[in-house]
Amino acid sequence: MVFESQKVASKYFVISAVFFGLQVVVGLLLILKYIWPDPLIGIIPFNTARAIHTNLLVVWMIFGFMGGTYYIVPEESGTELYSKKLANLQFWLLLIGGLVGVVGFLFGWTAGRPLLELPVELKWAIVVVALIFIFNVFMTMIRTKKWTAIQGMLLGGIVMLAVMWLFGIPFFKNLTLDYYYWWWVIHLWVEGAWELIAASLMAFVLLKITGVERQVIEKWLYVEVALVLITGIIGTGHHYYWIGTPGYWLWWGGIFSALEPVPIVLMVFDTLNHVRHKKLEITNRLVLYWTVGCALFHFFGAAVMGMLHTLPQVNRWTHGTQVTASHGHLAFFGAYAMLILTVIYYALPALKGLKQFNQRKGFWVFWITVSMMLTLGLAFGVAGVIQSYMQRGLGIDFLTVQGFMKPWFIAVFIAGLGFFIGVILFIIDVLQIAMKKE
Amino acid sequence: MERKTARNFFIWGTAVCTAIFIWLTIDTHTTIPKRTNTDKLTDEVVRGKRVWHKYNCNDCHTILGIGGYYSPDMTKVYSSRGENWLRIFLKNPESTDPQRRKMPNQKLSGDEIKNLITFFKWVDAIDTNEWPPKPITVAKVTGAPLEETAQILKGKNVYNQNRCDLCHRIGGQGGVIGPDLSHIGTKRDTKWLSNLIINPKSINPMTQMPAYPQLSEDEVQALASFLGGLK
Repeated sequence: MVFESQKVASKYFVISAVFFGLQVVVGLLLILKYIWPDPLIGIIPFNTARAIHTNLLVVWMIFGFMGGTYYIVPEESGTELYSKKLANLQFWLLLIGGLVGVVGFLFGWTAGRPLLELPVELKWAIVVVALIFIFNVFMTMIRTKKWTAIQGMLLGGIVMLAVMWLFGIPFFKNLTLDYYYWWWVIHLWVEGAWELIAASLMAFVLLKITGVERQVIEKWLYVEVALVLITGIIGTGHHYYWIGTPGYWLWWGGIFSALEPVPIVLMVFDTLNHVRHKKLEITNRLVLYWTVGCALFHFFGAAVMGMLHTLPQVNRWTHGTQVTASHGHLAFFGAYAMLILTVIYYALPALKGLKQFNQRKGFWVFWITVSMMLTLGLAFGVAGVIQSYMQRGLGIDFLTVQGFMKPWFIAVFIAGLGFFIGVILFIIDVLQIAMKKE
Repeated sequence: MERKTARNFFIWGTAVCTAIFIWLTIDTHTTIPKRTNTDKLTDEVVRGKRVWHKYNCNDCHTILGIGGYYSPDMTKVYSSRGENWLRIFLKNPESTDPQRRKMPNQKLSGDEIKNLITFFKWVDAIDTNEWPPKPITVAKVTGAPLEETAQILKGKNVYNQNRCDLCHRIGGQGGVIGPDLSHIGTKRDTKWLSNLIINPKSINPMTQMPAYPQLSEDEVQALASFLGGLK
């Protein structure tokens, strides 16, 4: 840490970790509903729980991104934050907004669109929060003497994030157009805006821990993000195969999403390369593990698992099955959850001025969450293959097929419990570091 | 490669792809009226879509393959179940089998049910590039081999659409409230069966089976032929 105002990041990290834990609790509840007849059907039915599970995911990740941004921007720009007050205000607004959203779901206050369930009033409130955030970051960046690629990419990412969000606000009469623009939020977030933010945060961490020249790191950042956007924007087409949009999307979507793994392979290669050519002794070995692990899991969860069912010939059978749940869990964990944990394990000890800290717990968190998420994702995958074959291939009734998938749902639950233990350890670790006296 | 080359690659690559994507979006919009029959997208359909959102149906069910994977896909529910079945089910979705996953009763009003069904009807006709795909083989409703004439297939459809399986069993599948129908054809002929379907109380005044006056004469005949063929 160099600047006093970077400290606003800590509370973002703490809330990020706590919401992560809550998300997993609700996840466990969801999978239980698959296994046994549901005693909570009257209070928290599946649809409400799913809305809470996915929205908590988005909220904790946004807290993580914002915390990471507030940590990095002063250091990159060589100046204090434009306004610590705004950063604090925006923190409370987002926290209250998130909580009101979750409680609202329990009372049926919903827009009823998957992942974008937040009611329209809250969606506009989020826009306000985003504008404060962007304003604060922008005003800090323009004080800089030397504009860096990391800054530019980060700013581009958060602006794109806010702009794409707008497409999720209106009501569409036509279901096909509804989903057409729904994907502008969902897909262009995770395979666009979020990748920009994640790539710049990661570039910063790599720059700091390896000491490799900025020129080299930023060059790769440009190449990677270019490829992410080149393949990812038109790659949105892999969601336009079966929703009522024209058949040419099978070609555009199929070809461009087949190329989507390229930037991720490059990212794995270039992370390992930077680590190999490091100019500094890496003292925070935990961060090194998370960095490399993140690159590898990003590749497996997003690139490999995504690629497997993105071709139209395969997707025809797997679309709308648990195969998507498998890919979703593995990809989000590898690409974003691990990234945010990397940033937290880098930035939080630094904020406290800790040159050394006890990393034992952090390594436990790493191995437990990685192995359990891998198991969980693969179990969902097997369930999805069974579903694709029996339900779509053989035309057997939906609920009958769910019975055959049950052993794999039990496997998901057990892995989920293990994962939960890892996340509890993480929360304890974060709280302990955050409460350390400097 | 220089850093500057990388930056130009980034700027131009992104710009070109964004332009292509916007061009494809504009073109897609021109195809929407025909592919989704926007002339049939009435206010009633829109009201039905609002019902769909209001009860957050989409976080359990998928539609066009998108949404929660907890419950069946709704894209083709109108043609596979039929209006009648949907109306009865939406009124009271509680399954007769407590061991299975069930849908909570949303207590929909009559209007809401009507609008929702109209919405499903409109969705059913969207050109989805033939998704969901036709199964490679179709699993049989009954264990006994059937000579599948058009009449019998139609009867099977009537059986499914009216959810006879909620009370009756064929080949081990279905409810336990009514008699097992797996071999009903060995005991009763089609004449007897059609009389029963039209007015169950005419045969047994104590029966709990409801009458099905909404079935047309053709449908009754088809159903009776299907059941009569179960031997």
